Amino acid sequence: MKSRKAIIGALLVGAFFISACGSSGSGGSGSGESSGGRSGTDEGIKDGGTLFILDHSTGATNLDPQRIYTGADLGFLGSTITRTLTSYTPVAGKAGTQLIADLATDTGTPSDDVKTWSFTLRDGVTFEDGAAIVCADIRYGVSRTFASDMTGDEGPLYATTMLAVEGEYPGPYTATADQQAAYEKAVECSEDGKTITFHLKNPVADFNYTVALLAFAPVPKAADTADKYTLKPVSSGPFMIKSYEEGKELIMVRNPNWSADSDPIRKPHVDEIHWQFGLDESVIDERMIADAGDDQATIVYGGLQPENLQTIFDNETYADRRTDGFDGFVSYTMINIKKVPCLEVRQAFWLALDREALRTAGGGPFTGEFADSFINPLLATDYAPGTVTEGLNADGTPNVEAAQAKMDAAKESCPEVHKHATEDGLRFDHGQSELWAKLISIWIDSLGAVGIKIIDNAIEPSKYYATINKDPGDLMRAGWAADWNNASTVVPELFTKEGGFNYSQNWEDPAYPAFSDKVNLAKAEVDRSKQATMWQELNQYVLDQAWAVPGSFTKAQNLVGSRVRNAYPWLPFGWYNVGAIGLAE
Amino acid sequence: MLIFIARRLLFALALLFAVSAFTYVIFAALPSDPAALTCGKNCRPEVIAMNRVRLGYDKPIVVQYGQYLKGIVKGRTYGASEGVHCPAPSLGYSFRKHQCVTDLITRSLPVTASVALGAFVLWMLIGIGLGTMAALKRGRWPDRLATGFSVVGISLPTFFVGLLAIMVFVIWTGLLPFPRYEGITSNPAKWFMSLILPWFTLAIVSASSYVRLTRNGILEVMNEEFVRLGLAKGLRRRTLIVKYVMRAALLPIVTIAGLDFAALLGGAVITESVFNLPGMGKLSIMAVNDSDLPILVATTLVAAVFIVIANAFVDILYGFLDPRVRSY
Amino acid sequence: MTVSNTSDDNAMTVGDTAIVGLSPSRLALARFRRDKVAVIAFFVVCFFVFIAIFAPVLTSIFNLSPYALDRQALNDYGNPIGYFGGISWNHPLGVEPGTGRDILGRLMYGARVSLLIGFIGTIVTTGVGLVLGMVSGLRRGLLDSVITRVADLTLAFPSLLLIIALNRPLTQRLESMGVPKGNFARMTYIILVLTVFGWVYMARLIRGQVLSLREREFVEAARSFGASNTHIVFKELLPNLWAQVIVFATLSLPGYVAVEASLSFLGIGLMAPAASWGTMLGDSVRYYRADPTYLLIPGVTLMILVMAFNLMGDGLRDAVDPKSDRQQL
Repeated sequence: MKSRKAIIGALLVGAFFISACGSSGSGGSGSGESSGGRSGTDEGIKDGGTLFILDHSTGATNLDPQRIYTGADLGFLGSTITRTLTSYTPVAGKAGTQLIADLATDTGTPSDDVKTWSFTLRDGVTFEDGAAIVCADIRYGVSRTFASDMTGDEGPLYATTMLAVEGEYPGPYTATADQQAAYEKAVECSEDGKTITFHLKNPVADFNYTVALLAFAPVPKAADTADKYTLKPVSSGPFMIKSYEEGKELIMVRNPNWSADSDPIRKPHVDEIHWQFGLDESVIDERMIADAGDDQATIVYGGLQPENLQTIFDNETYADRRTDGFDGFVSYTMINIKKVPCLEVRQAFWLALDREALRTAGGGPFTGEFADSFINPLLATDYAPGTVTEGLNADGTPNVEAAQAKMDAAKESCPEVHKHATEDGLRFDHGQSELWAKLISIWIDSLGAVGIKIIDNAIEPSKYYATINKDPGDLMRAGWAADWNNASTVVPELFTKEGGFNYSQNWEDPAYPAFSDKVNLAKAEVDRSKQATMWQELNQYVLDQAWAVPGSFTKAQNLVGSRVRNAYPWLPFGWYNVGAIGLAE
Repeated sequence: MLIFIARRLLFALALLFAVSAFTYVIFAALPSDPAALTCGKNCRPEVIAMNRVRLGYDKPIVVQYGQYLKGIVKGRTYGASEGVHCPAPSLGYSFRKHQCVTDLITRSLPVTASVALGAFVLWMLIGIGLGTMAALKRGRWPDRLATGFSVVGISLPTFFVGLLAIMVFVIWTGLLPFPRYEGITSNPAKWFMSLILPWFTLAIVSASSYVRLTRNGILEVMNEEFVRLGLAKGLRRRTLIVKYVMRAALLPIVTIAGLDFAALLGGAVITESVFNLPGMGKLSIMAVNDSDLPILVATTLVAAVFIVIANAFVDILYGFLDPRVRSY
Repeated sequence: MTVSNTSDDNAMTVGDTAIVGLSPSRLALARFRRDKVAVIAFFVVCFFVFIAIFAPVLTSIFNLSPYALDRQALNDYGNPIGYFGGISWNHPLGVEPGTGRDILGRLMYGARVSLLIGFIGTIVTTGVGLVLGMVSGLRRGLLDSVITRVADLTLAFPSLLLIIALNRPLTQRLESMGVPKGNFARMTYIILVLTVFGWVYMARLIRGQVLSLREREFVEAARSFGASNTHIVFKELLPNLWAQVIVFATLSLPGYVAVEASLSFLGIGLMAPAASWGTMLGDSVRYYRADPTYLLIPGVTLMILVMAFNLMGDGLRDAVDPKSDRQQL
């Protein structure tokens, strides 16, 4: 899933954290503390009350299930208003990544060499108006992903790449009868509307994880208002939307037509959830530190500001309310292979960048651990320590001699790229923020030491991806986390031409075809441990080619109100299981 | 007199018209394309083109402006078939926020009005109080104090005063809670508490120039012949000052204050940012960050309306008080 | 705030018998010298100008590079080690949190930006205002009413709001028109909008002065001798206006310095790594809890400079126009 924090640009501004106990192999200093003492437990919960969420952004990224792709949003809406066929176990720690049945009676039945997957719906599952959720609702919901004009391709596109739909299918709004029929052949409903069957183009061994994404959630056709559905989606969960005003507030109340009997996952405690938008980040921190009135029943979307970390982590007063942990994301810098087709220059860039100074400016070790892979250690099966460019300092400080040597070599081997990097300068795209205004000088200074000129291109955060999609720079900042527990949602997404998030144009590289072939093999591999080894090798391949340079396995810190309970980090989403949060007296 | 008022109002109307046209043209001429913002990251050019037609941005600017004016008078439906209707006076529709701009403004205006009104009362009290004191005790320590205050106040940027206030009263001493706006109707006590710091911040900065104006105004009037005459005739100094001097000296100040107040109603941008108040200024800043053109056009217009009306009002008031002005 | 200056009698008419016979400018100078506050303010301004001009020399002599990172001055959180924002022998005013860059060095370089914007902004607005005010006052007729109406229109706009709203698109437009990208374009934009919204006050003042001066005997006399417009402007009008122009300019300069800081607070202004007081203040805002010294130092420095300019301007006004009262303080 893509990272809001990459958009915002800073290492720290993200909205997610994950228990540190999930981390392995990455050193992990300061990671002993995972969830915030008492606030992570259910001690003294009294049902009822209103939970508040404070948010810096002016509105929810999206509420339309087919258009959601950010971890925290998936977890938040999944735990409150949007149910899917499968979901994750609502507990802290590793056990939270365990897939369980949600709308379906079990986690799905594969057949035909895992090219067909069937799910049977539970009895008694309904929308907020009391209408039963049937197969057709899910089929309709999934079909909306194909309508790119409506979704702007904001959600994950797995439905469009995996489903065996014959011919073009433009989504339900503009499809001809034939096209619609072709789609409905790929996504079949049984006579009684209880069973849904997906036919896939290729074998997908863990397709039941794919359908846990909200893009596979049901949408009642009669209530669909296309691009305006995002303002008031119909609920299938324990809460429903009462009102939503962008820039101000989203209010959720309990859904009277939701019954606990039909839902093994969600155990709501509060009556209402008020999500307040458009607050200054420093104001949010101040309010959380002060912990007065309603703020005692408040959680924050987004992390603590780095400047406040010392106040909070050097003072035991906050021990019960603070959290610190890895958030599942890897920050990295994409390199545009079309513009920098020279391995030595790319490696010189990696060696010369003062990652230590960048981390300090962002808040020190709290921002995360230096990464040696694009696959997060939280994906324990797929992660293996990567081999980084020779001479790279483990403490993050620049190795100027090694970098200079690479630059000198580049002058011989690819003089044009060398000239481009030293004379025209490399355009570095990143989100505009106060922190980046500071970080950029570290980039300019440390890379300037080996003669690489940086042209700062700060992009308005809300337009970041749209901008680099149209006009990619030489270097681009980004962040990524897996969509589910498989690097199949990392390596192909970031580094193949078909991936939804590849701005590096690495298909221009002669080394690409070999890589691409191997990715296809790995995708089709049904043996999970063999597949994991292949992802590790592919990850290493990217590191060797320096198509991108990993930054950090990022961490996030947060503070919750003193009455908040059950705010444990939910590993698959990197945020709390918001729907399960309760309030103490 | 009536002719003067009519002429003045007509002029104000013409000015408003010019301001609205200018605002519209300036923003329309900007390189950012409102239609491009209506769809997401992998947007195809055809979709943008379609949306441009749907939103009416394909038409010539004059037609667009005409539609805009018509919307203000009659209300307007945005988008084609499944469009949203915003009743009159419609100032546009924000495709970013999916709301009628008029609704957004009617929500923000009371906040800004609360800030402006309280600050206005405070700064007039402080400014006129200190100014009068300075004038009456001219050359002695109250005068020095007041003038000193005015020099320091005029040299402080608003945001610096605001941040200092938060630092001192919220973080160090904890005397006040962190400002958090509450509507006056929902909870007057909280409303009052949340606005104390913004009021004082704005008042301190604005009062400085009023100290000066008041002081100089009073001193000037006291030099006029009628005052000397009054004193010579044995009128009590106090009566004279309260009844005649203050009256003559304060009128121009009150009118200037009216203009300042009107300007503030358009959005106390910096104060609202510092104290995180959801007023017109904050709305504009958010719109700038989102490139939300319809909101920006509207906030600019509304702010201009306040300024123009206040100007017209002040001119007419002067016309009443000083007949010589009318010939202008 | 415009300077309310209604005196069209020049300094000679004041009956200060002791110094009758001196030229108006020498008279003003003598009065200015007697004003202790103004003289001190003048020296403070000179001090800042000196620092701004010699910032590169001074910072290298005292080893206060505004760009060099100092990891040693920071703890693991990236906050300065030691009290008051890391004030130490090496860093007399402490270091910037996160990077360890020297604050004194940055203040010195920042003075260049603040003063540059202040001076250029003042010169351009004053120049434009002066020319338009003169034209308006001398020509009357159509040109006059056009200028007056444009002035009315300009004043009807909420200037700060427009400056913020137009920042990004207009800076981009400037860059696409060939203005060098980055801080040069940003500074050009700031000066441009300051001029667009700032010329009116000066123009109104000058227009009023010209309207009354043109009826005076010496101008009529010159005209009756067949003097050209150029002659009247340069030989008759300007000598009678310069004092007020200088006073007005001195009093509006600190306003521009403060505006630059306020714009930076709102995120408009120069970009890193350039140091300006505005960007420093804008950055320090986030640290008002963790490192209040970092906010106070540039804030107080800015206040001192703005105050010095204001006091100097006041002194100048009193010296030029002794009817105003402040000198008796």
